[in-house]
Amino acid sequence: MRETPLSIVGLAIVIFFTIVAIAAPVLAPPRPGRDPYMIPRYGYSPIPKPPSPEHPFGLTQGQYDLYYGVIWGTRAAYRIGVLIIAVSALIGIVIGGVAGYYGGIIDEVLMRATDIIFAFPGLILAMALVVAFGPGLDSVTLAMILVWWPGYARLIRGEFLRIKSEDFVEAAKAIGCSDLRVIVKHILPNAIYPLLIMASLDIGSVVLTVAALSFLGLGAPEGYADWGQLISLSRNWITGKPGDPFAYWYVYTIPGLFLFLFVMGWNLLGDALRDVMDPMIRRR
Amino acid sequence: MIPVLIGVTLLIFAITQLFDPYMRASLYIRDPRQAKNIEGIIRKYGLDQPMYIQYFRWLDQVLHGNLGWSQSIHMPVLDALLTHFPATAELALYAAPLTIFIGTVLGKLAAVKKDTAVDHVTRIMAIVGWSLPSFWLGIMLLAVFYGGLGIFSPGRLSTWAENLVLSGKFKVYTGLYTIDAILNLNGAVLLDALSHLVLPVTTLVIINMALLMRIMRSSMLEQLNKTYVIAARARGLKWKTVIDKHATRNALISVVTISGLLTAGMLSGMVITETVFEFKGIGYWAAHAATQLDIPAVLGFALFAGVVFVIANLIVDILYAYIDPRIRLG
Amino acid sequence: MRMEEILSPDEQLRVKDLIVRFYTYEGIVKAVEKAKLNLRRGETLGIVGETGSGKSVTALTILALTPPPGRVEGGSILFRRLNGSIDDILKLSEEQLIRLRGKEISMIFQEPNAALDPLYTVGDQVAEAILSHRLPEMLDRAIKSLREDVKNGNEGFSTRLQLWAYNEMKKNPDALKLRLVKRLPLIGRIISKKLNQVVREEIVELLRLMEIPDPERVVDSYPHELSGGMQQRIVIAIALACSPLLLLADEPTTSLDVTVQAQILDLIMRLKERFGTSIIYITHDMGVIAEISDRVAVMYAGNVVEVAPVKELFKNPLHPYTKALLEAIPRPGATFKSIPGTVPNLVNPPPGCRFHPRCPYAMPRCREEVPELKRISEEHYVACHLYGGEDRGKHSGGN
Repeated sequence: MRETPLSIVGLAIVIFFTIVAIAAPVLAPPRPGRDPYMIPRYGYSPIPKPPSPEHPFGLTQGQYDLYYGVIWGTRAAYRIGVLIIAVSALIGIVIGGVAGYYGGIIDEVLMRATDIIFAFPGLILAMALVVAFGPGLDSVTLAMILVWWPGYARLIRGEFLRIKSEDFVEAAKAIGCSDLRVIVKHILPNAIYPLLIMASLDIGSVVLTVAALSFLGLGAPEGYADWGQLISLSRNWITGKPGDPFAYWYVYTIPGLFLFLFVMGWNLLGDALRDVMDPMIRRR
Repeated sequence: MIPVLIGVTLLIFAITQLFDPYMRASLYIRDPRQAKNIEGIIRKYGLDQPMYIQYFRWLDQVLHGNLGWSQSIHMPVLDALLTHFPATAELALYAAPLTIFIGTVLGKLAAVKKDTAVDHVTRIMAIVGWSLPSFWLGIMLLAVFYGGLGIFSPGRLSTWAENLVLSGKFKVYTGLYTIDAILNLNGAVLLDALSHLVLPVTTLVIINMALLMRIMRSSMLEQLNKTYVIAARARGLKWKTVIDKHATRNALISVVTISGLLTAGMLSGMVITETVFEFKGIGYWAAHAATQLDIPAVLGFALFAGVVFVIANLIVDILYAYIDPRIRLG
Repeated sequence: MRMEEILSPDEQLRVKDLIVRFYTYEGIVKAVEKAKLNLRRGETLGIVGETGSGKSVTALTILALTPPPGRVEGGSILFRRLNGSIDDILKLSEEQLIRLRGKEISMIFQEPNAALDPLYTVGDQVAEAILSHRLPEMLDRAIKSLREDVKNGNEGFSTRLQLWAYNEMKKNPDALKLRLVKRLPLIGRIISKKLNQVVREEIVELLRLMEIPDPERVVDSYPHELSGGMQQRIVIAIALACSPLLLLADEPTTSLDVTVQAQILDLIMRLKERFGTSIIYITHDMGVIAEISDRVAVMYAGNVVEVAPVKELFKNPLHPYTKALLEAIPRPGATFKSIPGTVPNLVNPPPGCRFHPRCPYAMPRCREEVPELKRISEEHYVACHLYGGEDRGKHSGGN
């Protein structure tokens, strides 16, 4: 395995964020009896307050604690990201698998469906769906799943088509294995690798799009620990104070930095995974 | 292409079905006064009829230009689209060619100088660009240049320029202020419009060139491994000639698709960038409409985006046939 | 020691102790290990071996085009130039090499479709070879033709412009002013007109020589519009366009239909007669070797294991591998005999003689010592511990 410095950086970043997400309740203890994902407020003034010992990253507009926000934001990002990808992948496996394995008219129909969804830029379709469902994170989750599953369906279908014609599948069918058995025991394990690569490369995009929707005001409500939401709160403060243009730097820099590093870490890792797994796939 | 277009309309229509008939009625009115007669509208467009009848009635309306009323900005959806499109087009006009150019040049460089410092640096640039949240990059750029240095403010024009444009003294030909400024021989407005384009275009280029760069790089690497490259060198051609004349041209073919999709993506509205920079294009309008739950606007916007994409795909296919003799001559 | 003494007067090329290694993720592939070859002027040397024997790599290395991640790690390739001097190809600069490639040494490839750029007409690609190396000659022809035009009363602006341009190009083809002028939209086209015409005539003649029917039409065709056989003729045309001293043929007929194979082989032999080119013909097909070669070199796993005149090799094969190759030729009536075992992994090749794991005559010595190519009889060399023979280096003449 060729370890490039970049993949190690990616791995380090991902490990860092994973630890932060898992340790959130310890790093930033939630208030008892309240939704831990709602950031505690320390007042109602719209003017942000700079970092201090009690609030290491300062308070953003509305006096929400930024440190708490970004820590639980990490957890929220994982929570929603993994959920979206897992469900999309599952739907994709089922639909793509059926299309790839049985072919014919089923394949045609399903592929047309994915074509249609692909005709829309992801963010725009998600926007339309969220507006239809009503704003909120649940709508965002549902909308994202509906937008994302075709990617996995296409991938799995491609893999099924490729593997279907390989010898060991013919052999399994020849000795009388049922279709389901062939799919689950023989084809699926081989098709999994590209899926894993795609999933790891996808987390970044999914979290980015969710953050974008929150930024636009369609996802997480104000006060929720969501990086996109926090960045949207920072918009009014980019000009700073007269005489001190960067007075409120912490408000826009910190949440964005967390989001950026999270996405970059996963992209680096996904890239490295692809480099490693590629020859393996080809040799198969 | 036609089936996909139909599919696009079907999908949008399917989304409309998520709403009750009263809300759907707003898709058919062109004038807020019509809102008073909701029952009449429901009957007129058959909103209580079975779905397939509704679909054709709706499609009929769409093809006649009636996309409903955008209540968030008080004008018919179609008009809103047309009014806001020039801003989006202007952004795309500068962002798309720059992105494509920089992306292909860097990608080619990275491939030719594979595994050297140049390759690694461009790779990092690509990963950073790909990972950057566009809204965060935009905000940071604004904070530094607008907040910190006081130049490059958001919006399309400074107040004075906007007043000039809206007055009768400035003739608006296209709606793209830079072009109109040239046509009006007005250097001041041209400069002002350009300075407002700098930051949004920079944001778009940084984020989008990443993908293009990587595709160009891998396409180039693929070509450099091909036999015809060795054969060309074996003929005694200089390495530079072989790269520029042969490998690059073949590599660009793969890049055409992604460039086309990129341009289409830009033309269908850059929701985030326009919002951050308050650049009043269709993306800005749609984002604003979404928060106001202005359904006809958002759906009209989505329909537009879908159609643009399908057409872009068609254009890309035609381009392919033009560039590649294997496709052209069959 | 002067270079002349290393290459005898009738020798065209000598490969000496060539070592080529590929640096891959899986390890260092020792593709060519101290290979020795020599080629006399006007002869056809056949190189036969299985895939992985290193024959293609050797051919590419003769043009200093070893594909990455390959690297030449040792040895020399001595070549007698057109002007009589002798150069070690591995020591030439890239600038010197471009003057060599396509002009003094050319190559034809296994898959003609892959060897041609799909985006340019075949005429364009043949023109590249001609314009790279025969530009002065073509310019002269163009100038002569223009002067004819002047005599016939045609002395317009375009004629004078072209005359000026071509005379300038003769003095310095890369001059800046020329490059700028050529870029101008209309002017550029006018300047190239006569030259293109002249080159096109030359190409059509060349294609006719390649026995391509309807060459006027073929010149403007794209590679994919032509059949495999036609494409290969084009590739050969490109290779022979500048009358090279040496033609490297890397399995040129392997991917063609059997009937077309025979035609192309025929063509190559006839062209060799006409141009007097020396040929190194690489193939794994013993039948083709028998037909086309004067002498044969057998390669196995990166080593040259036997060299002999073709009749001698078939009549009296010495190396166990050669024997096995000859026995493996399918014959009607005889049982199919294949060589047991597989080609060795070249990252970790077997110690000593690389063939010993598959050799029916293997001795303990074969596992320890790499056999050197030794002279057994007049012109017959073999690298095998079964044979004593005299050391190659000890003989004068013919070395």
